[in-house]
Amino acid sequence: MKADCCIQISNLTKKYSGNNSFALKEMNLDIFNGEIFGLLGPNGAGKTTFFSIICGLLNASSGSAQIAGYSISKELESIKKIIGVVPQDIALYPTLSGRDNLLFIGRMYGLKGKNLKDRVQECLSKFGFDKNSDEPVKNYSGGMKRRINLIGGILHNPSILLLDEPTVGMDVQTRTSMMEHLKELNTNKKTTILYTSHYLEQAELFCDRVAIMDQGKILCLGSPIDLIRQENGKDLEDVFLKFTGRKIRD
Amino acid sequence: MHRLISTLIKEFKLLIVDKTGITVLFVMPVLLVFIMTLIQHEAYKSLSQSGIPVLFVNNDKDSLGIAIEKGFKKFGVCELTVDDGSIYKSSDDIKKRIVEGEFLAALVIPKNATNVLRENVAEMVNVFFDQKSKVQKDQKQVKVEIIIDPTANKSFVMAINSGLKELISSIKTKILFQIMGEKIAQLLESDSKAVLPDSDFFVYEEAYAVRDLKKTYQPSAVQHNIPAWAIFSIFFIVLPLAGSIIYERSEGMFIRLRTFPGSFLSILSGKLLLYFLVAIVQFVMIILLGKFVMPLLGLPVLDIGTNWFALIALTVMLCLAAVSYGLLIGTLFNTPQQSAVFGGISILIMSALGGIWVPVNIMPHIMQTVSSLSPLNWALTGYYELFIKGGDWYAIQYQVLKLGLFFLFSVFVSYRLYKFKTRLN
Repeated sequence: MKADCCIQISNLTKKYSGNNSFALKEMNLDIFNGEIFGLLGPNGAGKTTFFSIICGLLNASSGSAQIAGYSISKELESIKKIIGVVPQDIALYPTLSGRDNLLFIGRMYGLKGKNLKDRVQECLSKFGFDKNSDEPVKNYSGGMKRRINLIGGILHNPSILLLDEPTVGMDVQTRTSMMEHLKELNTNKKTTILYTSHYLEQAELFCDRVAIMDQGKILCLGSPIDLIRQENGKDLEDVFLKFTGRKIRD
Repeated sequence: MHRLISTLIKEFKLLIVDKTGITVLFVMPVLLVFIMTLIQHEAYKSLSQSGIPVLFVNNDKDSLGIAIEKGFKKFGVCELTVDDGSIYKSSDDIKKRIVEGEFLAALVIPKNATNVLRENVAEMVNVFFDQKSKVQKDQKQVKVEIIIDPTANKSFVMAINSGLKELISSIKTKILFQIMGEKIAQLLESDSKAVLPDSDFFVYEEAYAVRDLKKTYQPSAVQHNIPAWAIFSIFFIVLPLAGSIIYERSEGMFIRLRTFPGSFLSILSGKLLLYFLVAIVQFVMIILLGKFVMPLLGLPVLDIGTNWFALIALTVMLCLAAVSYGLLIGTLFNTPQQSAVFGGISILIMSALGGIWVPVNIMPHIMQTVSSLSPLNWALTGYYELFIKGGDWYAIQYQVLKLGLFFLFSVFVSYRLYKFKTRLN
């Protein structure tokens, strides 16, 4: 594994049983320490499959993936300890308060006692939960749920943060605020961030590099500025449409 | 251990904010046991404490009618209304009253029944003593009518029938002895007239066979119903537990749970541990109900025996078996609706087979065999041993073992199913 490489993907292939097409086909990708990497693609491109494999939720059909030097197929337990995961769906108990959800998540990552309580309070305050933290999550707005969902992924200070569509359904203000928090996390704690998204404008602003993928393959890879320049596009959306076409996906 | 306790705390918090869940888990079982025991207590009372209205129409007004009337009053199986045929003149009148619910049954002794009985017995005696006529003439028949409400309990009908037959047989024997005595006195040309005593030679004593020979046992709704309905209620923990497992699996939280470091088994164990503790609390509440609340309503105090080790072992295994069945249902099905329907009906079937509703010993032979496959039957047999027969650990060890094996089997199958459903390919 390369010295500055945080996530190294080699010939990663995934074919679901009973399905003729490949969800991922011989994918190769290096994500470096401390970078914010955006994985972009239309529906069905293979983003969530890739995300599931590197979180240990799915096995690859072939190829290998290493995270911080640990093999995903052999050292998953070591990987789970250093990654933070923010799933696409709200992964919270709706009848518990935001604070209770976070206390549970923190405990599961080994945080205890005062450290846990202080860390939860710190995160709640940082993400604007000074008043509503003890209300049941079911009473929260969509944006508030998304923010608690995100805190669940960063509570234990992971060195690698994996986010699957973290800002879907959020208004512009919440989305911008959340991305700023992520940027801050990346700057202050050197957290490597890999996230999938449909928001190209947001990716263009925040990502050091992006990969545009479709039909299980990476079609282009680079910094947003470089890609726009290379493809003579107006913006990242223009580049995206150039690579993935205008056909509506299911 | 830290993860297990963390999950236990989380499950506890989830439970206490769920008011419906609390009601289902704690209030409903207590209510069920309370109501079922009270109902059964009334049923026990009605057969033993003269609660059932029965009409006795004595058209005979002679020895037979008087003996039956006295006998039924003495039996105490019912509340007897006696008529000498002046009010209830025909069977149709009586049927109308029964249909209207005034009586549950009626006994009608026809006119001259005693005379006909005497004539028939005399004829028999004459045939015996008279050397000339060896052939007995056709005997006259006495038609005693028993009219019953079709909704009446079968055991009550049987009690009425057998009581009536016993009384008729007794009066018939008495008349036989009287006539034979008179005949013998005639032959011996003696003037003495024997007076037969009313009392019976036999004294019947009902005793229940229990293991502890020093202990006397009286059947009661409390002793029979509390363990039976407690087992039934505890098994219903399957529904909220399976629902909770399915809900968690189908929501986004499942992804987070699977990405936590450590074994998923410890997360699941925390959930199971909470429901196991809930089942134990349910059992303790039901026992306290039988010990302290039921007596306030005039019911007997529940006797749970003195074999604490056996009682704890059996209860722990019962609760583990119920929780493991919930785990199995929760793993097997994909929606809470599926698990609720299958779980609920399967518990009803297992409880019916297990002798919760109807005692196993009155089931057809094939069903008795099938019954021995129900975990609820194993638990019930165990509790009856401890609460009723005065048994100890040795009397229930096989029931505990079977429940333990059921627990291991359910956990193993659930684990295989979980592995299959969440396979990573």
